[in-house]
Amino acid sequence: MSNPTMDLLVTALLDGDQAQAITATRNLCDAGVGHAQIILDGVETAMVQLDAKCTVEAFNLLEIMLAGRAVMGVMKELYPPGTRSPQTKGTVVLASLEGDIHDLGKNVLKMILIAKGYRVVDCGKDCPVEKLIDVSGQEGPLAIGVSGLLTSVIPQVRRLREKMTERRLGNISIMAGGATLKQASAESLNVDFVAETAFDGVSHLEYIAGGGNE
Amino acid sequence: MNSIERIKAAVNFEIPDRVPVIAQVFGHAATLAGIALGEYVQDGDLLARCQIQALERYDYDAVFALMDVNVETEAVGSNLIYRANQYPDVKSYAFSGDATVESLSVPDPHETARMPELLKAVRLLRQAVGDDVLVVGCVLGPMTLATQLLGIETALYLAIDEPEQFADLMNFATEVVIRFGVAQIEAGAHLPIVFDPSSSPAVIPRQFYREFVLPRLKRLFAAFKQTGAIANWLHIAGPTESILSSYPQAGVDIANFDYSVNPLEAQQAIPQTCLNGNIKSLSFIEKTPEAIAEESSGLLDWFADRGGFILSSGCEIPPESKPENVAAMVLATRK
Repeated sequence: MSNPTMDLLVTALLDGDQAQAITATRNLCDAGVGHAQIILDGVETAMVQLDAKCTVEAFNLLEIMLAGRAVMGVMKELYPPGTRSPQTKGTVVLASLEGDIHDLGKNVLKMILIAKGYRVVDCGKDCPVEKLIDVSGQEGPLAIGVSGLLTSVIPQVRRLREKMTERRLGNISIMAGGATLKQASAESLNVDFVAETAFDGVSHLEYIAGGGNE
Repeated sequence: MNSIERIKAAVNFEIPDRVPVIAQVFGHAATLAGIALGEYVQDGDLLARCQIQALERYDYDAVFALMDVNVETEAVGSNLIYRANQYPDVKSYAFSGDATVESLSVPDPHETARMPELLKAVRLLRQAVGDDVLVVGCVLGPMTLATQLLGIETALYLAIDEPEQFADLMNFATEVVIRFGVAQIEAGAHLPIVFDPSSSPAVIPRQFYREFVLPRLKRLFAAFKQTGAIANWLHIAGPTESILSSYPQAGVDIANFDYSVNPLEAQQAIPQTCLNGNIKSLSFIEKTPEAIAEESSGLLDWFADRGGFILSSGCEIPPESKPENVAAMVLATRK
């Protein structure tokens, strides 16, 4: 049965209205709705609708950023810092590689992944490949995601697979995205997947996690 | 025809002796000359020499007095990191913390940061090529400058959370850009290209573009024309199909379209505006001269009947591009 407050939460998330989304979340909690249900029926539902809306043609970062920020507000409301986080679908390690300080795309992907139930370890921007590999070795992620706006990061991306394999991490899927990297093919970058948009990257992840389709 | 006459013909939909070709060679000119990019973007004399050498090598129709996307924000007060073989990046933004727009002042292009070096490059290039080859200066679009003054995420959130404050910031950015662009024209640029990647529909919705960006583009293009720009050239990267039709009302005479935009859609969106594009930037690194020649030839075919076309890359030709690929694009217009 439809819950009007849950519908309000979904609408607020799609509108990127963080304050309204947090209010709806509080009201749902006060009404005794469990956190897991709020995530499933509210956050996940909004993400599915946003994914459908964000075809490549209609995709723009601002709308996704606003929805992502609203989702982060809801998650913080449900799981304040220091409390136990919900069960995740797996870990993803993200980075903008050394020499590239442009990390908007990475940050947008991070918000969507968290909203979709993944745990994200963010290595930040201007990140040396060695650091990314070290963190991947420690975290055992499903995948790593690298973004790049500058062509100068391409040689680093191409060497990533070999370096991962040397460290016996060759089983970890490598995704690439960002304005420049998406101009290249997965074969030429020697990665598993090149994402046209953040949602495109999430679809690939759902596929390899066995939790969705591609 | 010389290059200027050829470009004017394309802009006016007249028949040029051949299709003009503009390779968007910026830092690639430094790479060709064996000069570190970090030096190239700080020295107007060096920049002009590298551009002239690249012109002599490739024989295309325009040279660029263009350093990078951080000239204006540095002049307003942002701190940059310079590295030997990369374009500089912003280390700390001019408009951060408790700063207000009122606390910022419009920089004097003749005195502030690297702006005088860029003006020097303009003067030297114009002295070298006169009115034979197009001398292109460069300013950021107000939207891109706003994001470079504040950081793109902070700027976009500000636009939604504090639209009036963001509008003030956009007005300030417009003043900076107009003053800098006018100074470039007065120094000898035939026009400043307006480089505005943050206005891409990949970044902001079309409604946002209409409300915040379009009116300010109109203002700056009007100012440039009034100062003597021979044409107004707008460069917004990414999937611009949904905003191209607004370009004529902004005062745009030359519209750049990126690799992801279908040439036919671009033509239909702005049937009476000269288009330039749209070979994928990465192709100049990864493809062969034969592939570039084929793509160039395909584009020339697309525009053969329509005219109003300048063969070009969709965005910057990256510094590490293969010279033979740039040459292949230029050569395609001579066949």
